[in-house]
Amino acid sequence: MNILTFVVNVLSIGIPFSVALLLASTGEMFNQRAGVFNLGCEGIMSMGAFLAFMPAHLLQNTSLAPYANLIGIAAAIAIGALFGLLFALVTVTFRAPQGIAGIGLHMFGWGVAGTLFRYFVGGVTGVPGLKNLPIPLLSRIPIIGPLLFNLNGLAYAAFILVPASWYILFKTPWGLKVRAVGTYPRAADTMGVNVSRTRYQALVAGGMLAGLAGAYLSLGQAKMFADDIVAGRGFIAVALVYFGRWNPYLILGGSLLFSVAQSFQLAIQVLGIRFPYEFAVMLPYVLVIVVLALTPGSVTRGPAELGKPFDREKRV
Amino acid sequence: MKRFLCVLIALCLIAGAAFAAPKTKVKIALIVESTVDDKGWCQSMHDAITAVQKKYGTALVEYSYSEKMKPVDAGSAARQYVAKGFDIIICHGAQYKNLVLEMADDFPKTTFAFGTSGEIGPKNVFTYMPESEETGYINGIIAGLVTRTNKIGLVGPVDGGDAARYNRGFILGVKAVNPNAVVQVAYTGSFGDFVKAAELAHTQIKAGADVLTGSAQQALGALRAVAEYKDKPIWWLGQDTEQLKVPESYKVIAAASYAYAAVVEQLIDKRQSGVLGGEVIPLNFANGGFIYKFNDNVGPVLTADIRKQAEKALADITASKLTIAWQSVK
Repeated sequence: MNILTFVVNVLSIGIPFSVALLLASTGEMFNQRAGVFNLGCEGIMSMGAFLAFMPAHLLQNTSLAPYANLIGIAAAIAIGALFGLLFALVTVTFRAPQGIAGIGLHMFGWGVAGTLFRYFVGGVTGVPGLKNLPIPLLSRIPIIGPLLFNLNGLAYAAFILVPASWYILFKTPWGLKVRAVGTYPRAADTMGVNVSRTRYQALVAGGMLAGLAGAYLSLGQAKMFADDIVAGRGFIAVALVYFGRWNPYLILGGSLLFSVAQSFQLAIQVLGIRFPYEFAVMLPYVLVIVVLALTPGSVTRGPAELGKPFDREKRV
Repeated sequence: MKRFLCVLIALCLIAGAAFAAPKTKVKIALIVESTVDDKGWCQSMHDAITAVQKKYGTALVEYSYSEKMKPVDAGSAARQYVAKGFDIIICHGAQYKNLVLEMADDFPKTTFAFGTSGEIGPKNVFTYMPESEETGYINGIIAGLVTRTNKIGLVGPVDGGDAARYNRGFILGVKAVNPNAVVQVAYTGSFGDFVKAAELAHTQIKAGADVLTGSAQQALGALRAVAEYKDKPIWWLGQDTEQLKVPESYKVIAAASYAYAAVVEQLIDKRQSGVLGGEVIPLNFANGGFIYKFNDNVGPVLTADIRKQAEKALADITASKLTIAWQSVK
């Protein structure tokens, strides 16, 4: 295998596998930009993965089969929104500690998804899932075509979401409100911004994207559902938000770096280069930590009020 | 074939004769980290206990289980079982070792068991170790004969326990019939990350592998990935016969399974004869600890010759004519 083939193989696996992380971390970015960190991302992804899987599983031999994936994706977005709303109620209205509430949401989502799966399905089984949609002409460009223009619909949507998120966050009044309530909510409140409502909206949006990330895992990536299908990716998504300095483009870079590093470490193991595989498995995580540690301002540039509940009546 | 059947029948008779019904009622508890229907590790032990319970009746064998028990939570469940008078508590996974050793000290009259482990535990702790190099070897023989690219992919969870034995047995099986074949070994680092296993399977296939195998729950992710190459001659060899029942089974040439019933029966037998622990119970073909099944619906890929060679190896291993030096593989 020559180097070019090796690189193309690594990228062709790494790029599609970055999509779930990209969706989840973009959602988490909206949460954190509004001043709330949601460690429950993993639980929302589990629920999203399960609800996206169910229609594909139940309808695969019926006349509704062509719509099963769409129904599943809509259900995943809806459950993500619902969980986002629930999290907002707990952390924004009741001002519960965000870390604890997030862990609770994670365990709730993971547990409910697993329980419902066992009740309605029973054992691990596959579904047809999302098919790749090669873009005419573009997908025929050598090397780049198969890598970037032969993905499934959710993957295209995720990559389009990056500039869209950037635009929403930095060029729209709502994005300005989100950033304001995460940076200096009291000033935003003084200027007439409804802090709680904005945080609710951001958390619902973040939840929807986390649900969508789960849908990508079960329909686009594994094409199956199992209890532990998310396997820590929700927490990695939270870390990637810090890595990406709350910027959609940098988050895209982080997601790609992590996934390609993952794909790379698997590929070098397959090549048979003799060194302890434990180090290979660690590589993507170590890489993210190293880059995070060496990036100046990776924490100081975060939303100033991240993790702090806003109490309008509190005396300053 | 006849010889194989004779050995099999003889073993069934021996197995049937070796274990008598419990003299008094025995209460067995199972603690697992996944679920009892995971089509893998946990289900195999659950199925074994329910089979033993069915064999002797609920009046003689009482059974209860706790699922999704992380090692930190399992202690509380185990203590509750002890309080309820359970005789044998099986903590199904090497991750429970410390918990079991601690509990064994506190409750010396209860029999504990955990595995996979080859260590001899305290007087009231049994360990069990599947000698899975045997199943790996037979799968390896098939893989070595089936491959056309001479590249075979191994999707490992971790290089430890029975997975390590399976992998090494598999490599030896491949080399026994096809010295030119290359076994591409790689690990996900997780027993349950289906997505990463799928990613690794895709990586293996892109690197030229046309026959893949893997163990633990994660292997289903890899099988799912293999099934995506529906019209291509890319095949899977399973380490769980449940994989012959899933929709992707058209890619599975054959699969082996652990039959823990032999372990469960020995646990009951030994406890009732006064041995509460301190022994390692092996699982192998000879003691009925493994089941091996060919997929009759897989099509022409499983030729009569391949099947014959695999069956011969199976018969030789069962009759102890063939031992697999798995530790020789680095």
